[in-house]
Amino acid sequence: MAILKPILYILVYPGLIFLMVYSTFCEWFDRKLYARMQNRIGPLHTGRSGILQPVADIIKLFAKEDIVPEKADKHMFSALPVFALAIICTTALYLPLWHYSEAPTFISFPGDLIVVAYLLTLPTLIYFLAGWHSNNYFSAIGGVRVLTMLFGYEIPLLLALLSPAVLADSWRILEIARFFQDKPLLMLVNLIGFFIAVIALQAKLERVPFDIPHAETEIVGGQLTEYSGKKLAFFRLLGDIEMVVGAGLIAAVFMGGFPGGLLPGLAWFVLKTLFIIFLLAAMRAATSRIRIDQMINFSWRWLAPLAVLQLFIVIIIKGMVS
Amino acid sequence: MNNKIVPFLPELLRHLFKKPATVKYPFEKEALPEGFRGNVVCDAAKCIGCMICVNDCPAEAIDIIRVSETEKKFKMILHNDRCIHCAQCVDSCPTKAYHMDAEYETAAFSRHDLKIEYK
Amino acid sequence: MEFKVSLGPQHPALHEALSLRMTLEGEIIRDADLKLGYSHRGIEKLAEERTFTQNIYLTERICGICSHSHTTCFVQGVEQLMELIPARRGLYIRTLIAELERVHSHLLWLGVAGQEAGFESFFMYTWRDREVVMDILDWITGNRVHYAMNTFGGVRRDIDELQKKKILDSLDLLTKRTEYYLSIGANEPTFVNRLAGVGKLSREDAIALCAVGPTLRASGVPMDVRKDDPYAVYNEIPFEVCTADSCDVLGRTVVRVKELIQSYKMIEFLLKNLPDGPFKVKAPRKVKPNEVYSRYEAPRGENVHYIKSNGSDKPERLKVRAPTLANYPATIKMLKNGFIADIPLIFAAIDPCICCAERLVQLDNPGSGESKVLSFSQLRTMANDHYKKVNLMKKEAVWPF
Repeated sequence: MAILKPILYILVYPGLIFLMVYSTFCEWFDRKLYARMQNRIGPLHTGRSGILQPVADIIKLFAKEDIVPEKADKHMFSALPVFALAIICTTALYLPLWHYSEAPTFISFPGDLIVVAYLLTLPTLIYFLAGWHSNNYFSAIGGVRVLTMLFGYEIPLLLALLSPAVLADSWRILEIARFFQDKPLLMLVNLIGFFIAVIALQAKLERVPFDIPHAETEIVGGQLTEYSGKKLAFFRLLGDIEMVVGAGLIAAVFMGGFPGGLLPGLAWFVLKTLFIIFLLAAMRAATSRIRIDQMINFSWRWLAPLAVLQLFIVIIIKGMVS
Repeated sequence: MNNKIVPFLPELLRHLFKKPATVKYPFEKEALPEGFRGNVVCDAAKCIGCMICVNDCPAEAIDIIRVSETEKKFKMILHNDRCIHCAQCVDSCPTKAYHMDAEYETAAFSRHDLKIEYK
Repeated sequence: MEFKVSLGPQHPALHEALSLRMTLEGEIIRDADLKLGYSHRGIEKLAEERTFTQNIYLTERICGICSHSHTTCFVQGVEQLMELIPARRGLYIRTLIAELERVHSHLLWLGVAGQEAGFESFFMYTWRDREVVMDILDWITGNRVHYAMNTFGGVRRDIDELQKKKILDSLDLLTKRTEYYLSIGANEPTFVNRLAGVGKLSREDAIALCAVGPTLRASGVPMDVRKDDPYAVYNEIPFEVCTADSCDVLGRTVVRVKELIQSYKMIEFLLKNLPDGPFKVKAPRKVKPNEVYSRYEAPRGENVHYIKSNGSDKPERLKVRAPTLANYPATIKMLKNGFIADIPLIFAAIDPCICCAERLVQLDNPGSGESKVLSFSQLRTMANDHYKKVNLMKKEAVWPF
C-alpha cells in the first residue's frame, strides 16, 4: 500500500495529468496574450474563450495520418518523441511544488539543481537527432542549427542559475527557495541573472527571436519537417511542458519558490509561472527572428559577460552579508 | 525618443487593454457601401432583345431568350456561377434594365443551383 | 560538400508556386536557378478570343494586388489605338485609384517583409492599417480588389463630395501610422540586422540586368515611368522620384516607405484639384489595324503591354511583361553567395507577384531533358495544329462538370 502513494503522485499531481492539463492552459495563456498584443482575438470558439484550443490541436494531430519517410531509420524516428516526453516529465518531478516545513517535497536531494540543468539539455539533443534521422536536407540543417544555438545559450543559462545557488549556499532547489523566502530583499541582487535566464529560456524553447531551427519561412519545419500525426503531437506537448518546467525552475530559483503546503503552493506556482510566461510572450511579440551567426554573436558578446558580472556581484554581496 | 531596446513594446502593451480589431463574422457583419456590386437583377419588362449584354459579358453569364412568337418579350437567365460581378451589363444596357443588389452570401452546394431566371 | 536542393514549388516563404533549384554548401548558396510555369493560365491566348471590352476584365485578373495597373495599361494602349482622348475628370480619378493601389500594395509589402523576417507583430499592425485603404476603395469602386473602374474613354463611376471628405480624413491617420512604422522598422535592432547588408545589387549590375521598380531605385538609379514617360495626368502633379543608396533590402524598404509618403501627398493634390466635367466619353467598338506599346509604373516596377489590332473588335495579339519577370535575373545574382536564412528576404524584397510573370519564355522538350527556344511563328503553327483537333466553338463548348 505504501507504494500506491508515490504512483498517485507520479500520475496525478505533480506528475503526468497535472502537467498535461497545466501546460495546455499555459499554451492558451501565451497564445491569447500574443494575440491581444497584436490587436487580434486569439482562440475563441473552442470552450469558453478558446481555453480548449491547445487540447483540440493535439486531438486533431492524433487523428491525422502518421507518415514515416521511406529511407529514414524507422525505430529511432518513432522512439525519439516518446523519449523526449519521458525526459521532460521526469524533470518536472524535481520542482519544489509542495513542501511542508519539515518534510521535503516529492523528490529532493542535495545537488538536484545540476541534475535538472542536465536533464533540460537532453530534449535539445533529441531535437538534433530527430533532424538527423529524417533523411531530409532541411531537417539536417535544422538539427545542426539546434546544436549551434545550444553552444550559444547554455553557458549563460548555467551561470545565471548558479548565482542564486552561490548566494544561498546550497545546490538543492528546495533550500534555495527557502533561503529567498526568509530573506526576500536578496532577490533583487539577482535581477540581471533573472533576465539572462528568461532570455536563455526563450532560446531553449525555440521561440522568436530564437526560433531559428524551425524557422517557418526558411526551412519549412526545420528538424520537425518530416514528423506528422501522433509523433508531432508529442513534440508539441514537449514544447508546452518544457515551457512550464523552465518557468517553474526560474520561479523556484529566482523568485522564492512555492511555499505554504498543497493549495497555497499550487496558487503560488500558477501565479509565478504565469508571470514568467507573460514576459516570454511579450518578448515573442516585440522582436523579429535573428540569424544564427547573429545569435551566437549576441550570446557571447552580451549574455555571457553579463552572467559573469552577475556572479561577481553575488560574491561581493555575499561577502558583505555574512 | 530614440528607444533602441524593444521600441515596439509600449505600443504592444497598450493594446492589451484595447478592443481587438477583428470583426466576429458571421456573428457580426460590417455595413456595405452604397455602390457595392452584389448580384445582378434584371427587369425583363424593359428588355428589347438587343443582345448587347450577352456580347459584352466577359464570362458568358447571360442568356436572353424570346418567350413569345408575336410580341417582343424576353426572359433572361443569369448563370450566377460564371458571373464575375463586374457590372458591365449594367453599363451596356441601353434601356437600363439591370441593377446590382447587395447580396454576397450566395454559396451553394452545386453550381447548377446558381442559375437564376428573370421573367 | 555541395548539395543540390530545390526550394518549392510549395514553400511557406513563397506566396505562389515557384521552383528555386540551388546548389548549397552548408548555409551558403553557391548557385541558383529559377523554374517558372507552375501558375500559367494562358491569358495571352484567351485575350485573342475576347472583344476589347471583355478584355478589360480579363487583364484585371492577371493579378490581385496590382490589378488596376494591368487594366490601366491595357486601356491606355487601346485608347491610343482608337485615337480617343479620354475625359479629364476620368483621367484624374484613374490616377487617384492608381495611387491608392500603390498605397495598399506597399503597406502589404511592409507586412510581408515583417513576416518573412519573423516579425509577426509588425505584419499584423501594417495589415490592420491597410484595411483603411481597402475600405476607401470599397466605398469608391464597389469592391476591395478588382476595382473594375476603367473603361475606354474614362472611368465608370464618379466620386462625390462625401467620399472625397472621407478619403482626406483617413489620409491623416495613414500618414501618422506610416511614420510610426518607419520609426519602428529603422530602430528595432533585430529587424534592422536582418535587412541591412542583405541582397546587395550594385548600380552597374542593376542597370545591366534590367531591374525595375524599387529594386532599381534602391541602387541609386532614379528611373520611374511616371517621370520619364508620363501617362494619365502625371505630368501635372508635383512629386519626387524616391531613391536610396544602400543597394540592399533596407534600401528597398526605405524607398517603398518614401513612395508611400509621396503617394499620400499626390492623393491630396488630386482630390483638391479634381476638374469638373464628364467622367467618360463614348468609345467606338471596332479598332483600326495598328500596334501600340503601353507602359505603366506598377507598385512593383515597370509594367508593359504590347497590343496589336487588326480592324475587328478583338485584338490580334496581347503581350504582357510584368515587372517581376524583369527582376528575376537580378534576384539570381543577389542570391549567389548569400545565406539560406536570407532567401525569403531577398525574394520578398523584389515584391514577387509570380502569377503576373507567368508568360512563355522558353519551351522544354520533356522527354529528352534538353531545352530549346521556339520562334513565335513555330509556336503558332504548333498551337494551331493542336487546336484543329479539338472543337472549340464558343457556344457549343461543354463547361467542366
